[in-house]
Amino acid sequence: MMNDTKKDLKNRINHIEDVLASVAAGDMEARINSEIEDDLSGIEAAIDLLIEDLTDELKKREVMQREVEDKLAKIQEQQKTILQQQQDLLELSSPVSKVWDNVLILPVIGTLDSQRTQVMMENLLEKIVETGCTVAILDITGVPTVDTQVANHLLKTVTSARLLGAECIISGISPAIAQTIVHLGIDLSSIRTKATLQDAMIFAMKQNKRSEDSRPHSRFADADEKNE
Amino acid sequence: MFEQTTDKNWSLLDKQVLETEYDIVRIRQLIRSHAKGIQMGIVDQTRITTAVSELLRNMYNYANGGEVQIETGPVEGKMALIITCSDHGPGIENLEMAMSDGYTTGMGLGYGLPGAKRLVDKFEIETQKDKGTTVRLIKWR
Repeated sequence: MMNDTKKDLKNRINHIEDVLASVAAGDMEARINSEIEDDLSGIEAAIDLLIEDLTDELKKREVMQREVEDKLAKIQEQQKTILQQQQDLLELSSPVSKVWDNVLILPVIGTLDSQRTQVMMENLLEKIVETGCTVAILDITGVPTVDTQVANHLLKTVTSARLLGAECIISGISPAIAQTIVHLGIDLSSIRTKATLQDAMIFAMKQNKRSEDSRPHSRFADADEKNE
Repeated sequence: MFEQTTDKNWSLLDKQVLETEYDIVRIRQLIRSHAKGIQMGIVDQTRITTAVSELLRNMYNYANGGEVQIETGPVEGKMALIITCSDHGPGIENLEMAMSDGYTTGMGLGYGLPGAKRLVDKFEIETQKDKGTTVRLIKWR
């Protein structure tokens, strides 16, 4: 009699172990489902409940993981679009146009980061060679902040344009930006600057006329005298 | 850090993380709008924005990004905009040189830090080798 009970108990414990092993292996259907009511059945029921809870949690986690993956895919998609748009903007935002005999205009709008300045400089230099223009106006009315990096980029652009034989005029420096540049300590005196695009245009056209009248003269020599 | 100026009465306006070059533009625009928000004039708006821009570029170029904290409150009895930029970069090895005009370890003009200092009313910097750099800019309204 005693032996039978012991055997029964052993069987039940073995069953519990089996169920736990199956659950651990990933079989969430396994349950103890004991029909006997005694001291052990409380534990058996508790284990069944725990397995139930675990199954629920796992299902929830799966759903959440799928959601996160979906969101990640969406974000990656959006990032691709943003990158594409940045590329597009890069091309769009650096148009160089010939507005008069010998005069190019490059309106700069927004922020000058290193990538954009590179594209801008390339476009300008190519256009200078292509058209043979000798005056280029860089209008920075649309640039809200000129820090040392932007100034550095502008200086480099002007210097390389000069190497190709074109003189650059920078226009559209607002009073606030003018004060800021002075405080920063940047020396832009090697660059010809004008307050407005209109001033720059007038200056460029006068320059044009002069250089047609008297070829051997330095382009800016006469204008300098008049200005001072 | 910055015992002499830190004040409990400052209110935090914004806290931003700098990671990419595009964050520089985004944070700069934020600073400008906050400066506008506390009725700063256009010249002062441009100054503080440019000064912050210099620091952000340094953080981006040399320290791989960092954090920016924008606060407002009284400094020495006057209302001010307080901007604290901190990074965990390599630190500035020779601070005295870095604060002088025309000195650069990179490809810049070398006017970034001294220029930023001239653009604001108060400028504090703390740097520790291999730990990072923290700069505080204060501009009175």
